[in-house]
Amino acid sequence: MGHLELTVMETLWEQGQGNVHDVVRWLGRPLAYNTVMTTLDRLYKKGLLNRSKQERAYFYAPRLSRLEWQRKQASNLVTGLLSGSGDTSELLVSCLVDAVGQYDAGLLDELEQRILMKRREIEQEKQQ
Amino acid sequence: MTLSYLPRLFCLVMACFFLVYLVASGIVSLLAPLAIRIAKRLTPRLAARFLLALRLLPFTLSAGMALGLCVPSYLRFEPELFDEPVGLACLALAMLGLGICGAAVLRTIRAGARSAMFARQCRRSGHEMAAPGPFLPTFVVGGPAPFLALTGIVRPHVVISESILEALSGEELSVVLRHEYAHRTSRDNLKRLCIFLAPGILPLFGGRRALERAWNTFAEYAADEEAVAGDARRALALASALVRVARFGSMRDAAPVATPFLGEVSELAARVDRLLTGTRSSACAGRVSWSTVVAVAMLAGCAALVIFQPETLRLVHSLTERLID
Repeated sequence: MGHLELTVMETLWEQGQGNVHDVVRWLGRPLAYNTVMTTLDRLYKKGLLNRSKQERAYFYAPRLSRLEWQRKQASNLVTGLLSGSGDTSELLVSCLVDAVGQYDAGLLDELEQRILMKRREIEQEKQQ
Repeated sequence: MTLSYLPRLFCLVMACFFLVYLVASGIVSLLAPLAIRIAKRLTPRLAARFLLALRLLPFTLSAGMALGLCVPSYLRFEPELFDEPVGLACLALAMLGLGICGAAVLRTIRAGARSAMFARQCRRSGHEMAAPGPFLPTFVVGGPAPFLALTGIVRPHVVISESILEALSGEELSVVLRHEYAHRTSRDNLKRLCIFLAPGILPLFGGRRALERAWNTFAEYAADEEAVAGDARRALALASALVRVARFGSMRDAAPVATPFLGEVSELAARVDRLLTGTRSSACAGRVSWSTVVAVAMLAGCAALVIFQPETLRLVHSLTERLID
């Protein structure tokens, strides 16, 4: 996705839906009406926007939420790379270690503490 | 448009499929919060089955109505002699139905193929290890990425990264594999694939996703309970393994159809809590009792008797005639 396309998508994710005039206004940049219209049309043809006609004007709305789109992109990337040669997939797997989601360390410490306490409890019960 | 006998039947079946799918999807989405509340009162395995059945209901119901009611009524009461006009509305509905079916089949094939490719890749790049506990093919993959999941659909196997394997003690690994074995015996990966068959068509209704999340959570609870089988030491080992693996971070969605050990990120604390406060043994919960089988068979028999009554089929035919016009 190009820079302008991404900006337009960001705007529509924030605002919900709108026609070309709305998007030009929301962008807050001196962009020609035709440029924005072409960009919206391209996004529609790429399957990223839904389009409905209301009173002679097209209204555009994102087909996927921002999160859904990001997940789809990431999934396509990972699957594409993993289906490559052995070297590529190993490299990818190595790189992913830095990109994985991290849990709250405080929460994990707390859970570990509780497990430890429970373990002691069970051992004490056994000894008695 | 004037269509002959069989194309008309196809058009009717697709239109009927779409209408029922639309209505059933809406009702299921609206009922999802209530269903999730009900599921919380059931055993995890039963709750997972109930939620999955509800999630797949729009597809099964619409396919059942289209094939089980529309086709017999049409074949029985529709004269084969003439070509007849089919209304635009019916054609449009048929196209939508065909679109849903096509999209569902395509995305299922795509997800299945991607997952099979991912599983094959893991098998090729890793090496099989002799796992403790129940027999379950386990492949160890190199690299530091934290990966622990049940992959594959027809013959699922565990894929575990070296880093996680080194971090787990023997007892923890054993109970982790029991957990994955429970997912395997309940065919959770196949169920995940089935979910792809029932796409959402109502973007404003969030019930479908809520049902999927809840199903996922209860499937994890059920696998935890089956792995632990009421043993406090195993429960501790599984809780400890969950925290240990979580310290590596969560790597999810590597394949569309895979069951990661950590499951939903937000559920980690709840799962550990359940394990520490004592999970109930679900040795019997996973089995279907004879009384249930007999009740379901009787219900299906009654439904078949009602459906194949000439009056029922005639009524359906008169309704479908209206749809065609």
